[in-house]
Amino acid sequence: MKRTLLFLMLISLISIGCQKKQDVIKIGIAGPMTGDQAKMGMDFKNGVSLAVEEWNSQGGVLGKKIEIVVSDDQHDPKQAVSVANKMVNDGVVGVIGHFNSSCSIPASDVYNRAGIPLITPGSTNPQLTEKGYKDVFRVCGRDDQQGRIAALFVIQQLKLKNVAVLHDKTTYGQGLADEFKKFLDGKVNVVYYGSIVQGDKDFKTVLTTVGNKDPELVFFGGIYPEAGLLVKQARELSLNAKFMSGDGTIDPKFIEIAGAAQAEGTFLTFSPDPKNMPSAKGFIENYQSRFGEIGPYSIYAYDAANILLSAIRKANTTEGNTLTDTIHMMEFDIALGKIRFDKKGDVTESPYVIWITKNGKFEEYWKP
Amino acid sequence: MFLQQLINGLTLGSVYALIALGYSMVYGILELINFAHGEIYMLGAYFGIIFFGLFTAIGLTAFSLPLALALTFVLSIMFCASYGFTIEKIAYKPLRNAPRLSPLISAIGVSIFLQNFVMLTQGATDKVFPPLFGTAGFRFLSVQMTYLQLSIIVVSVILMVCLRFFVRKTRMGKAMRAVAQDKVMASLVGINIDTVISVTFLIGSGLAAIAGLMVAMYYGLVNYFIGYVAGIKAFTAAVLGGIGSIRGAMLGGILLGLVESLGGSYISSEYKDAYAFILLIIVLLVKPGGLFGKAELEKV
Repeated sequence: MKRTLLFLMLISLISIGCQKKQDVIKIGIAGPMTGDQAKMGMDFKNGVSLAVEEWNSQGGVLGKKIEIVVSDDQHDPKQAVSVANKMVNDGVVGVIGHFNSSCSIPASDVYNRAGIPLITPGSTNPQLTEKGYKDVFRVCGRDDQQGRIAALFVIQQLKLKNVAVLHDKTTYGQGLADEFKKFLDGKVNVVYYGSIVQGDKDFKTVLTTVGNKDPELVFFGGIYPEAGLLVKQARELSLNAKFMSGDGTIDPKFIEIAGAAQAEGTFLTFSPDPKNMPSAKGFIENYQSRFGEIGPYSIYAYDAANILLSAIRKANTTEGNTLTDTIHMMEFDIALGKIRFDKKGDVTESPYVIWITKNGKFEEYWKP
Repeated sequence: MFLQQLINGLTLGSVYALIALGYSMVYGILELINFAHGEIYMLGAYFGIIFFGLFTAIGLTAFSLPLALALTFVLSIMFCASYGFTIEKIAYKPLRNAPRLSPLISAIGVSIFLQNFVMLTQGATDKVFPPLFGTAGFRFLSVQMTYLQLSIIVVSVILMVCLRFFVRKTRMGKAMRAVAQDKVMASLVGINIDTVISVTFLIGSGLAAIAGLMVAMYYGLVNYFIGYVAGIKAFTAAVLGGIGSIRGAMLGGILLGLVESLGGSYISSEYKDAYAFILLIIVLLVKPGGLFGKAELEKV
């Protein structure tokens, strides 16, 4: 009896605690906030914070203020699942996040079970939206589109014969490398296909082997710390093949790690420059005055937050199912332009282009 | 290609060897596996970046690069040595007569503390050591080598030769060997054990600082958890060579580097880390004391 009473008291305490929080709407942000990819996590946080500040200054949504719950998944899939559970228990109505596909995919199970929408600004692995969850959305493009563009560029523009393909064994890196290889489609020889370990610092062994096969281009599926070291060490071994990588590499730190001279001429697949988009003008000004230089994914995080919040306003509820259906039906007019989601939760159009590293900066270079 | 991989492995191995020496020396004397040693190496890299940044800011680098680099090295070594010294006094000395497991757990605690301390004070993001020499190097017999790579190998070899000379020929070295053999007897003949242990920590930490700084310059990328991986590798090297033996630590380190690089190139680079540990298992099965373990009388 005593125990039951105590239990009841506890329950009532907890529910009082919950009720007090009901006058805000919580949205979750998840990404690598610490560790070697912390920069990407920060970009997410800044992008979402900016959107939320703008909404809050106009009175929030559904008459309530919006509050952000930031979670650090440390780009570790296990940690991602655990922070996902924590955010669901915290009562978030939707989650903007996970940067790494290897985190978003397992975490999406948790959100799906809880029935809350997940909008990822940066996970590009196709599997994420191929699982048949209707509450998973992706603002960025997919690796198969990205790999296709990279292959197209190598075949049509560079007209190369021999390439080497490396990846970092992550869902994102290997996925991208495999898609690239698939779309080369026998038109270009893959003289070497292999992997490195994420977090490793010495790649001279594998680069010496690659150099021995004399490729004209090395394609790397992975993230900027390893990409930077790969380029630097390749040049030290006087392996002077062209270097190409995906959107995970497009970060100023890549140039800093590789050294401007070594990074020069590296090709990268990425979405078009927001600076050339009229719709993104306001966002760019506000973001720069608030946080400084724009990160590659800042605009996606900002837009993901805007999508979630406008859907809440339109649906007039934070109930997961209705919210998901609303996102599927709506057309959003956001910084990236007008976008819609298809049945799987991918954006209906996702134009990837080729960027190049030039004089220590990234710029748009080629589009098909 | 074989020669090139040999050089790649040798560079990697020299660094492992320098760190492994610290593990082996401490184990030889205290029979303690100092898990915080990898963190001293990480601190060496951080001190390097901090002091070099400082010298660049006050214009010393522009005035004379060699002077700035030399000062950076000296200061990093001094700071790391004092860290090593303090860690021993705070975390290990009070436990000297405790069961063997206690100082080991204390060492793991220090390691976790230092990692988090650096993460919180320096931030979790990668720090970049300014590229000083670019990719400058030379070609010799189909081997492409940077000057930095060459200096890592040369500096490591010189340091190891000096250490061997110190342990074998000097009075302090003799005292260290005596303490390693029998602490009680050594104190009975008038050797101050505390001093010997402190000197061991100072030297081991100084070597780790040099390794850390050279690696920071070579790869150009430093973060708070580099000590963990390097520590595990160096520990493996020390065990491979026979923990407690100086010669074993040197050869174990270089062997480890070579196996990683040659295995990575001739079998498959995906399982690079596995080769080192397969080798370790084989050696321990055949010769449980490590390559130079029991057979070596001179144990420090």
